[in-house]
Amino acid sequence: MQPYKYLIIGGGAAGTTTAETLRQTDKEGSIAIVSDEPRYYSRIMLSKPNFFLGKIPFDSVWLRQKEWYTENKIDFIEGVLATKLDTKSKSVTLSGGPDASVGTGKILQYEKLLLATGGEARQWPITGADKKGICYVRDLSQVNELIENIKTSKQAIAVGSGFVGFEMCEMMKLAGLEVTMVMREPYFWYPLLDIESAKMIENALEKEGVKILREAEVSEILGNERIEGVIVKGTQPSHEATAGQAKIDCQLAIIGIGLICNLDWIKEAGIETNKGILANEYLETNIPDIYTAGDVAEFTDLILGEKVQLGNWVNAQMQGRTVANNMLGNRKPFKMVSFYTAIGFGLNIAMSGDVRVKPEYKIIKRGSPEINSFARIIVDEKDEIIGATFINRSKDMATINKLIESNFKVSGHESELSDPNFDLKSLSSHPQ
Amino acid sequence: MATQEYARNKEGSNISKIVVDRDLCIGAASCIAVSGETWELDNENKAVVVSAGAGANAADDATLLMSAESCPTKAILLFDKEGKQVFPK
Repeated sequence: MQPYKYLIIGGGAAGTTTAETLRQTDKEGSIAIVSDEPRYYSRIMLSKPNFFLGKIPFDSVWLRQKEWYTENKIDFIEGVLATKLDTKSKSVTLSGGPDASVGTGKILQYEKLLLATGGEARQWPITGADKKGICYVRDLSQVNELIENIKTSKQAIAVGSGFVGFEMCEMMKLAGLEVTMVMREPYFWYPLLDIESAKMIENALEKEGVKILREAEVSEILGNERIEGVIVKGTQPSHEATAGQAKIDCQLAIIGIGLICNLDWIKEAGIETNKGILANEYLETNIPDIYTAGDVAEFTDLILGEKVQLGNWVNAQMQGRTVANNMLGNRKPFKMVSFYTAIGFGLNIAMSGDVRVKPEYKIIKRGSPEINSFARIIVDEKDEIIGATFINRSKDMATINKLIESNFKVSGHESELSDPNFDLKSLSSHPQ
Repeated sequence: MATQEYARNKEGSNISKIVVDRDLCIGAASCIAVSGETWELDNENKAVVVSAGAGANAADDATLLMSAESCPTKAILLFDKEGKQVFPK
C-alpha cells in the first residue's frame, strides 16, 4: 500500500482542522485520520447544560457529517488506536480500540505525520474510585454515563475547582441536585484568579445553593457497588468547614482534576516528551516530518516565551491550521494569545495570556466586584500587558489580546485601562 | 431575542446574511480567534458582529466561513443571496 501523504493520529479539533486545511490547498494528496472515537464532535458542548438537559438534540454534538470525510477524500479510520511508531520506516501500527477489534496489527505508512492524540481525564487517585456514580466529562461515552447517573441521583459532589467543576455545578443545579464542591484550594481557581474575582464566582455558586468546601479533599469513598457518600477532611490544620472531617451523602461525584496524555508509544519511538509531546514554535517535534498539535502539544509559546501545554478548543483549532500550512511547506510559527472562556450561574469568565502574577508585576483593575463587572489587567516589568482575567467583561478580551500581542506600552494609559467605560479599541488602533 | 441577523453586501461575496443563534452561542470566542475583524463578544458574552454590524463586510468569504465552521456549537449561520443556508450544511 502507498504511504499516506498526510497521516493524522487523533480526530478531534486539532486533527480535523489540520485535515480540512490540508485539503483546501492540496486537493489530491492522500489523507487519513486515525481515531478511537466515532467522528469529530464538539467536546465543548459536552459540558453545556443545553446539551446535558436535552434542550438541544443529541445529534447537534457532531461537527462533521459522515459524508464530509468521503467528500473531502479523507480516510477516517475509526475505533482504533495507534500503538507503535517506527520513525525509520515511517510507519504507525494500529490496534483495535475500545469499540472495535478491526485494525489490529495494521500498519500505515506516512510521508508526514501529525500526533494530535489529545488527553484523557485524570483518574481520581483514591481507593474506591471505580465505583458506579463516579464520573468524568471528557468524551462521549463518559458523558452518556454521566447523563444516566444524574437521573438516579439526588446529591452530588464536584471535585476540582476548574472550568469542568464550575460548569458541572451549574448543570447539576439545573437538574435539581443538591451539590457540594470539594476543592483543595483556598478559593476558586486559585492561583490563577485573585480572591476578589474568585469571591464573585463563589458568591454566584452559593447563591444558587452550591455548598463549597475549601481546602478540603475526599479521604474515603463510601458505598458498595455504587458511591453512597464520601468522607471529606480539611487539608489545613485549622480547617473550619469540616472540623477535621465530615460525611457527605452523594450518589454522584464528578471529577475534574485535569488531563493526562498517554505518551508511552510516542516516547518509545524516540520523540521527546514531557507532560505532552515537545515541539518548537512551528509545532515540529524532534523527529523530521512529525508534528504535534492540540491538547497533547507542549510547544514553545512565542507570546509567553516558554514551553506550555494548553487544553483548549480554540488553541487546538488554530494549531491545526498552523500545522497544516507547515506540512504544506508554508512554514510559519504558531503565535496566538491563548484564552479560556466559561459561562454559568449568570457569569461569564475569561482568562487570556499569562495570568500567573509575579511580585514585580502591576495589576490594573477595570470595573469592580460591586458593579458585578471586573477585569484585572496584568502588566509585567517591561510595562507590557501579559495577561488578564475577566468576570462579566469578556467583551474586553479580544482587544486586550491585541494589546498583549502588539507589546503595547501601558505607561500613560493607566487611567484609560482602569476606566470600565473607556472603549479599549481606541488603544489597540493607536500607534505607539 | 434568540437570533441576531446582519446584512452583508460585500462586493463579489456569495454570503449576504450572517445570523447568530444567541441561545446556542456560549462565548467560546473561536470565531474571534479566526476573524477578529468580524466578531466580538457583547456584554452577555455572546458573539456579535463588530460595531453593531459594521464588521459584516470585513472578512472575505473563506475567512467568514472558517469563523462559522470553528464554532463548537454551530451558532453562526451563513446565507447566500437567494436566502439559501450555506452553513451549517
